[in-house]
Order: sequence, then structure tokens, then C-alpha cells
Amino acid sequence: MEKVFKQLDPVTFEVLKNGFINIVDQMAAQILRTCYSFVIYCRDFSCCLNDSEGDTVMQGSWDIAVHVGTLHFTAKAVLEVFKDNIKPGDVFAINDPYAGGTHFCDVRIIKPVFYDGELIALMQCNGHWADVGGSVPGSFDITAKEHYGEGLRIPPIKLWEQGVYREDVANLLVANMRVPEDRLGDMRAQAEAATVGEQQLLRLVEKYGKDTVLSAFEECKNYVERMTRSRIKELPEGTWVAEDYIDMDPEQGEGLIPIKVALTIKDGNLHYDLTGTHPYIGCFLNATFGSAFSGIIAGTKMVFPDIPLSSGFYRVVTANLPEGTVVNAPWPIAVTGFCSGAYEKIMNAIFEIWSNVMPERALAPCFNLEYLLIGGWDNRPGYNYHFMWYDWMAGGHGARWNRDGSNCSAPMFGVGLTVQPCEGQERLTPVITSMHEILTDSGGPGKFRGGCGVKKGGTLGLVNRSVMSYCCDRSRSINMGVFGGLPSYPHGVRLNPGKEHEKYLGAIFSNYPVKGGDSFVRPSQGGGGLGDPLKRDLNMVLEDVKNGYVSLERAKKDYGVVIKLIDEDMCAYEMDIAATAQEKDYIRANRVSWLEEDPAIVRSRYLQGEIDLLDLIRRYGVILDWETGELLPKTTGQFREKLKTNVLKYWDQ
Amino acid sequence: MYRVAIDVGGTFTDGFIYNEESGEIRITKVPSVPASPEEGILNNLLDAGINMAEVSVFSHGSTVATNALITRTHPRTGGVFTKGFRDVNEIRRAEKPDLWDPYKDVAPPYIPRYDRLEVEERVDYSGSVLTPLNEQEARRVAEIFRKRGMKAVAVCFINSYINPENELKMKKILEEELPGVFICTSKETIAEIFEHERFSTAIINACLAPVIGDYMEKLDIKLREMGYVGDVLILHSGGGVMTATTIRNYAARVGTSGPCAGACAMKYISELCGYPSAIGLDMGGTSADISFMHEHELRTSYQWYVEFGYPILFPAIELVTIGAGGGSIAWIDEGGSLRNGPQSAGADPGPACYPTVGTEPTNTDANLLLGRLGKELIGGAMKMNYEAAREAIEEKIAKPLGMEPVEAALAIIKVANANMCDALRLVSIRRGYDPREVALVAFGGAGPLHGAFLAQEMDIPTVIIPRFPGITSAMGCLLVDIRHDLGRNYLIDTAKVDLSELEKEMQSMEAEAHQRLNAELVPPASREIKRFLDMRYLGQWRSLSIECPAKIDNLENLLELFHEEHEREFAFSDKKQEVEIYGLRIAASGKVMKPHLPKVESTGTLEEAIKEVRPVYFEATNGFTDTTVYEREKIPVGSVITGPAVVEQFDSTTIIPPGLTAKVDEYLNIIIDVRGGGN
Repeated sequence: MEKVFKQLDPVTFEVLKNGFINIVDQMAAQILRTCYSFVIYCRDFSCCLNDSEGDTVMQGSWDIAVHVGTLHFTAKAVLEVFKDNIKPGDVFAINDPYAGGTHFCDVRIIKPVFYDGELIALMQCNGHWADVGGSVPGSFDITAKEHYGEGLRIPPIKLWEQGVYREDVANLLVANMRVPEDRLGDMRAQAEAATVGEQQLLRLVEKYGKDTVLSAFEECKNYVERMTRSRIKELPEGTWVAEDYIDMDPEQGEGLIPIKVALTIKDGNLHYDLTGTHPYIGCFLNATFGSAFSGIIAGTKMVFPDIPLSSGFYRVVTANLPEGTVVNAPWPIAVTGFCSGAYEKIMNAIFEIWSNVMPERALAPCFNLEYLLIGGWDNRPGYNYHFMWYDWMAGGHGARWNRDGSNCSAPMFGVGLTVQPCEGQERLTPVITSMHEILTDSGGPGKFRGGCGVKKGGTLGLVNRSVMSYCCDRSRSINMGVFGGLPSYPHGVRLNPGKEHEKYLGAIFSNYPVKGGDSFVRPSQGGGGLGDPLKRDLNMVLEDVKNGYVSLERAKKDYGVVIKLIDEDMCAYEMDIAATAQEKDYIRANRVSWLEEDPAIVRSRYLQGEIDLLDLIRRYGVILDWETGELLPKTTGQFREKLKTNVLKYWDQ
Repeated sequence: MYRVAIDVGGTFTDGFIYNEESGEIRITKVPSVPASPEEGILNNLLDAGINMAEVSVFSHGSTVATNALITRTHPRTGGVFTKGFRDVNEIRRAEKPDLWDPYKDVAPPYIPRYDRLEVEERVDYSGSVLTPLNEQEARRVAEIFRKRGMKAVAVCFINSYINPENELKMKKILEEELPGVFICTSKETIAEIFEHERFSTAIINACLAPVIGDYMEKLDIKLREMGYVGDVLILHSGGGVMTATTIRNYAARVGTSGPCAGACAMKYISELCGYPSAIGLDMGGTSADISFMHEHELRTSYQWYVEFGYPILFPAIELVTIGAGGGSIAWIDEGGSLRNGPQSAGADPGPACYPTVGTEPTNTDANLLLGRLGKELIGGAMKMNYEAAREAIEEKIAKPLGMEPVEAALAIIKVANANMCDALRLVSIRRGYDPREVALVAFGGAGPLHGAFLAQEMDIPTVIIPRFPGITSAMGCLLVDIRHDLGRNYLIDTAKVDLSELEKEMQSMEAEAHQRLNAELVPPASREIKRFLDMRYLGQWRSLSIECPAKIDNLENLLELFHEEHEREFAFSDKKQEVEIYGLRIAASGKVMKPHLPKVESTGTLEEAIKEVRPVYFEATNGFTDTTVYEREKIPVGSVITGPAVVEQFDSTTIIPPGLTAKVDEYLNIIIDVRGGGN
């Protein structure tokens, strides 16, 4: 181990570094227990300690991924706007995505910390408020093209001035939001948490002295930089590329929207170049530079989970985000849905890249964040007010180097984001859940299978004037496997399945009218597979069939494994070894040519019921408009190209 | 007559034996028998030469349940669920144990998917039955479970917390069809809202009921064969005991047992010494468990787990566990920072200085280099290798940091102490409790080595080192009452609450509590029932539990208490805001006879207790200082020891830093006065 130069002795540094982590985690614990927004309660928040320049000294260890790499931008924005007009007792707020924020719902409360009259730090608490106004409850308007109707944009403002609460300013904010009392509650909870952080930091300053604490700020950044560089030193130098896609631009018709990521490892630096990425699109799935950078930082951190987060990391990890693209949309382009759109595509492209750089940490692409919102009037006996059923699901994570992907887990957008209990939802809203279960065959096949997704359905009870909106993606850009593994399952909501007014609504829609008695169901994707599915251990396939993770039919079609049911009561199955060998030979001999078959012919066979949805996607790489059954030629071309890149060179013929 | 307490740990089975007539205490330690834990207990009793006919109370803590869960060695258990909801426990709340590491997994569910069956039935949020139980399907489920040879079944239906009708019908059918199989419903196990948490508790309960039931039965028979006639008591995570009769129905409560015993002992000892508020530091070989008591009440948490992702809703003594023990490894990370733990060398390979094969520098090695630990442990049974410790610290820590080995050893201990202080802050300052108003009870093998230094750092005025630091947990098992906890959701705005309705609800819960105490044969005079209201500001998601009087005739005082608690816990409150009641809780206890630790008469002199004088390193003296080492067994009551000093005993070593004084009280506890002097 080489000797390292430091300003502080190792004990003082370690003590202060852990002290800083402790402070931000204390702030987090407090918010979790005092917040009013259930979105925050489900862990969509983050806390951090910024130095007097706005750089991040330490971020919380349970923070949501999507805020990572953006908190220093908003701290700097406050410093820049208020400059010398920052005084002890002030508290600021900001939610501006065009100034480095993520989306309007993420409201950041920032409190400066002074010692002997000198500004030494900023305490920042960022939480996702359940509503910040705009045309749609929950402030997610998928039809928005510009931000004006999405919700309230808050540039840096002062909520407390030298300890005096500015009720007029706070009221102006919440008067534009739904359920204003709860928003004031969130604001208060965040401001109090920042105060807790301030007190704890001042305790350290009293004990160790201001200069020592300020040196430790600097040293925290240097430390993270050193640690990251020493890891990178172990890696090969070179450039790796991967791309992923948003389903479409509603303004331009069918065709996947590519996000291209190139990683160059050189001289101890990681540089991501997103040149070649599609221009911004005509719906709210675009990202601004702040959230795109967050995707890069969060995706990279998954490879180095133990490195703490500080601005030292951003010295090593840099990015080129071309202006005017879907990963760096300019003001006033709508960006609220970035989390379902550009964000997770950046992360998944990064997972693909790192699977090649460090195969022992491989992670096939994971399911995409999705959430369904039903809002309207609750007419149950004793109820007579507005309700919001705001629901996101667990899904499958990608398969890994030596094991299957995680079943039913939170989206990579925020692995700490918890799903809501149905019993809680049923008390609060007139929506009755009819099922919340694992979706058979949702995991992408592979030597190691992608984790399983979920299927959730419901029925509307006594409601009035109600609408349904869905912020999602990947009904066409289905997540792929790696190293020969196959894709998972398409997203999309189905209304009144199996009933008279059945309708497929797709993966992104807004304000669709619904009424009492309507039912709906939607899947969440599984993870992508890793490795050739024909090489999966036979007993693992058998176990999957016993558990209903994989159906008998798909065991045969995806894995070439022929299994027979012997006794359902005993859950006893038997493998047909000879038939399995035959089936595998058949698949091996034909699978490359399936990917070349005329899509129009494949489509007609699907419409005649000869092949099913998963055959289309996994065997033929053909994507249709799932509502009309129409062939999407451009999308299919792009999807097949990507599929071939990810499988052909890994399959033996 | 004797009272006997046993703590069955992973490595050792500890015994604490109290003679009711003479007040004499004996301690024993024998290796555990993991394959058959009751054997470890019997060995311990044989080792102690106890005549079980002369034992009035037998109580114990055990890892039987924890092990069965972690190793999935419980008997085959089935689950039956509302159609569409059999995967609730596998979906969980979707969380993973590590936000950033995709290679860290949640443990697989306790009941595999193929043993989770479904029936048609549905109750809505208000308790109305939307779909009655389909009896034909219910009998079919029973038939399949019979064929598969299930030993237990959990019945988990949506919204059963508000109306258990369908769950109970299902249970009745299963009982008819599957005689001898343990059946529990989610509502009977714990009547709380939120399906994952309630189902998880019921499933764990079903998995453990046969394990704990059979184990207690076997133990009971063996102890009776040995002549014991009393109740066999087992400690649960709520800091109480239950008897073999009732434990089967609440088996999930035994998910953890040992660490809570330490907290119970902490409570007893600190109260004995006159401190109503205290922090417990139970530091062993691999980790430290930290507990907190405020005004005679141990802090409780209402959600805990044995394995991440599978919560158990029964109240449990709140413990913060951190990877800081004697065997915790010191290391330098790629960023050049000196780290301590959470990896531990444990007992095998062990610290570098142990006669085992370990080569990594640990806290034990650092304490040895500083002279704080002597060169022999366990009364001379284990020789420490000083050179090996020095070499490990020199190569792995001192050289990379450009330090001398002793300087590096001090750095290692300071980092370990700082990490523990962060955890102490977590349970005290962070919850609004002032550490200057509490005592620190330091125990476990390594607690007394570090306790005084932590107290100095935290401004804690007093440190208590119990008489037998290494077997404090066993002692804790004798110091608790029979305890049952009941909870119920009861959601209403305090402005709209009908007090007589509330009183009725509380009384019905109390009646249920009395039924459980009847089953334990607790005489009425020994019963204590406490009531709690869970309250929160309207719109908030988490609530605070407020103790309320036996009869609630107004809410004013309770609201006042709620605002005060909120202020203390979160540093703010708002009396203008509406407050709602979220749930009702009952804590029912049946008093168990407790030992009265005898006061000991002074014999001998302090000088006679001196073992040696050796150089010990202290930061306050800037180096090695000749320090007197005492043998704890020989120190007379009332002695005042001036630091620096070392006190050695069979299972632990206590350090009294320079400038501090310590007094040995009449119960033979060492009380260190931390305000007594500088650093």
C-alpha cells in the first residue's frame, strides 16, 4: 500500500468522514418519520451536506438513485442567485430542472450553516412532493410539450429570512398545489431535518475546530477521488459502446429513439460521451443535463457500491451531454417524465457497457420505472372528495454473471423506493386490487434468467369524474439480455380485459376517462437474461417450472427443455431428456434464421394464433402496435439489429 | 431453592445460577450443541451440579428459532392466500438490502411459491365480505396440503385485520381436514393493517411454531425428568418471557432472543445502581448491540426482521447492532482511510494474537499492544501472541500510514470508539435524549475495555461495569416478566373520537390480554396491564406511541404528551395541528419472581487484589504509564480505584483511564465516575 499524503491525521479524518455520513443519514431518518407525502414516505428523497462552494461533501447512504449527482447543482444555483444575501437563519427552496434539478416534484430545501459569521456549509433535503400543481393531479402531464402546465417551477427562493418565516412566499407556493396543508407539512419536515443537520455539523466544528472540519470537507472529496482512481487503475483502458431506446416520439410516429453511450477509460478517468443521441422529443420523457448526469453517476456507482458519494466522484466521472438531445433538453421543454424515459435508458446502457468491462459484475438490463395514476371523485359511503390512486410496481432486475436476476424489486431509478400496501391503498381510494402477483414468463431467458416482474390488476368502485394516466415506457423498446440472453416482456395497460369494452391503452397515456366497474391490469417487466438460454442448467429450469416462474410451454420454447406434469397435487414434474435434446437441436438449427424471417409473414402467423406474443419478441424480434396489430417496420428493424448484436456472437450454431 | 437462567449462544451456553436463600451467584460456561440445543442446556446444568428439584424458576434465551429460519430447516410449511395475492411476501415492499450493490440479494421467501396456494374469497377495506370463502376450494387446498405432509399452515387473507371471518372459516376447515397440523391466521397472529407485514409475521409464526413447540416440549420433558416442577420460560424479543403453553401461538416472537436478554439485564443493573435512564453497550467478538432505556422504559421498535425483507410486527426491544467487536478487523481502504470492521476475524481465524490462524489486525490486537489487555485470557487458559499482534499491525496499518506500531494501535482503537460513539448518538441525541443524563452500562467480553473511553467522548457521566460482564445476557433471562403485546388499528381524528367507544375497544383488548395471561396461569394479583395510543399529526405517515391511563376520560393530557414526545423526538411540534389516533396497544405482563442481588460485605483490602503493575498506553499520559492491574474477584466492596487502572476477571477486562476514579458498589458493580477528571 502506497503512503498517502493527507492534511489530517487518519483518525480525525475517519472520525469526521463517518460523522458526516451520520449527519446526512440522521436528516434522512427524520424526514422519513415526519413527512406528509407518501412518495417521500416510500423513500423518494435524499439529503446531503454541501460545502460553501456548493460541492457535495457527503450524500446519504439510503438516498434514491435519481437524485444522485444533482444536489451540488441546486446548491450552486442558490449560491449564485443569492450571493452575499445569504444570512444565518435563512432557508431556501428550489426545484428547477433547468438549473440542475430533476423534475418539479423534487423540491429541495437548503439551509446555510454559519460559524462565527462565516458561511461554512449548506444542508440540503430533497423530497418528492406528491403534487406541485399543474394540469394533472400528481403533476405528471404526459401530453405536456413545454413545462408551463406541468407544475410550479421554483427558482431559488427564500422561505425563511434570518429565522423569520415568509408566510407570503410559502403560501404563494402551496396555493398553486393540491392539498396545500400537506405541502406545508413536507416543507416543514425538510426544513427541520436540515436544522438537525446544521446542529450536528456545528457540534463537530465546536469539537474539532472550524479549520479541521473544513479540511475534512476537502479531504472527503479527495478521498473519494483517490479511491475511485485506484479502482479504475485496475481496469483495461479503451472505449465501449451501448445504446438503448425510448419507445417513440409521439410527434414523429413509430421508430425507437436511440440514446447512445460511449465510455472511455483512460488515464484514470471515466468519460461518458452521449454523442449521437436523438434530439429531444415531443413528450415529457426528455431529461435535462442534471438528471442525465444523475443517470451516469448512479449507473456507475452500481459498479462501485462501496464508494461514498461526494463531488470527488464527479472529478473522475465526466460526461458529454449534447445540447438539444433527449438527454439534455433545453428550457422550456417538458421533462417531468425523464425518470421513465431517458434516465433509465442511460443507466441500462451503462449496465451493458460495464458487463463487458467487468463481466464478474455483469448486470443485464432491468425493468423500467412505471406508474399508473387514477384520479377523480371518491363516492364511497361517507366519502365525498378527490382521490388519487398513485401506483408503481416492483419488477425484475437483470440476470447476473453467476446467478439469476432479483425477482420483484424496486426500479433502478431508486432501489430504495418501496411499493405500497394494497390494504392501505384500498382504505384511501375506491380502487380494489384484484391481483398482485408474480408474472409467469416475464423474466428474460438466459443461462441465468432475468428476475420476474409482477402483474397487478384492479377494479374501480364507487367513483365519479375519474381519469387514468400512465407514465411508463418500453412497450416496444423491451429490455434486452446480454451475452446471448433474451428480452423480457412488454409494458402496457389493458382496460376491461376479457370484457366487452376491452381496450389496450399502451405504456404512455394521459387523462383516459374511466368509470365505476371498470377493471384494468398491467404487467411489469422482468429483467433481461444473461448467456445462452439453451445452456441453462436443466434442474434450474425444472425448479422454475415448479415455482411457476416459467410455464411448461416457455420452458420448451425458450430453453428447449421438455417437462411433463406428473402429479399436480404433489407438484411433481418429470424431465423428458430425449425430447429435450431434440428440442434444443431444433432451436439451435433455426434461431438465427427466425431473426431474418419476413416480419409481415411473422405478423400474420401471430394474428392467426400460430405463435404468441413472446414468440414474436423473443424468437423473431418483431414489434407490432399491440393495440391494432399493425406491423411497425422501422421499430422492428431497430429492435432486431439490437437483439442480434446482443445474441448472435454468443450463440453456438 | 435456586433460580436458573441459561443463554444459548452460537458458541457458548452460559448459565447464571442464583441461590434464593444465600443470595450466592454462580456462573457457568459450556460449549453449545448447535444440532441439539437442549443438550447444551442439560450439559450446563450437569456441569453446575444443580438438583433441578431445588429449582423454582428456569428461564432461558435461545437461538433455536433464529437458526431454523436462517437455515430454512423448519418443517415444511404451507400458506393459503386470497386469490391473486399468494406472492405478496415474495414481492415484499420491493426493497433490497443494499441500494447500490446489485449483487446483494434478499433471502428467498420462507415458503416457496409452489407451497403457496390460493382460494376464492374477498373482504373489502370496510370489512364487508365481497366474496364468501369458496369452501370447495378450501377443502381442495387442505387435501393438497395433507398429501404434501405440511406441518404448519398460515392463512393470509386481504383485509382480514378488519374482518377475520373468512380467515377463521378457512382455519376451521384446515383444522378439520388436517388434525395435528399447526394452523394460524394472520389476524390472530397480529391484527394490523398492511398485508406484507402481517402475512410475513404469520408465515414466520407458522414456520417456527412446530420448531419452538417441539423444542420446548422436549426441554420440558427432560427438565421434568430431572425433577423440575415449575414453568419452563423462554425469552422473546419484546423483553418478556412466555411459557411452553403459549409460545407456540406466538413463535415469531422468539425470532431473536439473546441480545434482548442483554438489554433486560442492562435495565435491571442500571436501576439497581439508581439510574432510570441508561445506554447498554453489549460488545462481544464480532459486533456491539446498543440499547436504550428512558425513565425505566426500554425503547421498543414495532418492526424488525431476522432476514432483510421479511418483517416481524411484534414489538421488540430496539437494538442498534454495529460491526464493532473485539475481533473487528482494522484495514486501510483504496482511498487511504483507516477503517474498522464490519468484517470480523471472529473466533476462527481469530485475531492475530490468538493461538488460532488469524493474521489480520483486530481491536483485540490493538488493545494488547497498548497493554490494555494482558498476555493471558480466560484465567490463563489462553496465551496471547504479542509478536503476532505487533507484526499484523505494523505490516497492515503502521507502515502504510507512516506510523509506529503502538501509535497505529491507538489509531485503531480510536476509530473503533468513534464508530461506537456514532451508534450511541443514534440511540440518544438523535432521539432527543441527552447523554449527560444517562449511565452507560458496558458489558459483553469487550464492553468494559472501551466503555470509559466512549463515555468520555460522549460526556456520559457514569459507566457501570456489571459483576459478570460476559454472562450478563444469561442473567437478563431471570430479570423479566411474562409479557404479551396486543395491537389493533383504530383510525380516527382526535376531534371526533367517541371516548366511550374507545374505552370499549381498549377493554375488549384487555379481555383478550387477560385470556392469554390465564393460559399462562398468572394469578390476578401479579398482573399489570398498560395501555398505549398510537398518534400522529393528520397527514403524517408514522405515529408515536403514547402511554395512557387505565381509564381514558379526556384526551387533553394525552395530546399534550403527544406534542411533547414529537418535540423531543423530532425537535418540533405544532399544537394547532389536528392529531389523529392510528392504533391501540396493550402491554400485559405477569410478574415473575426476580432475584434480589445480595449486598456483599467488605472483606480483605484493595492491595490484596493487586495482580501486577504493567505499562499501559493512554493518550492522556502521552504514552505508556505504569498501571496497577487488579483481580476483580479479590476487590472488596467499597473500594475506590484511581485511574489509570486495569481490572481483570475470568471473562472480561475493565479499563479505568487516567484521572478517573471508580468505586466498587455493594453489588460488586464497578461504577466509573467519568466527570472525575480530564482525558
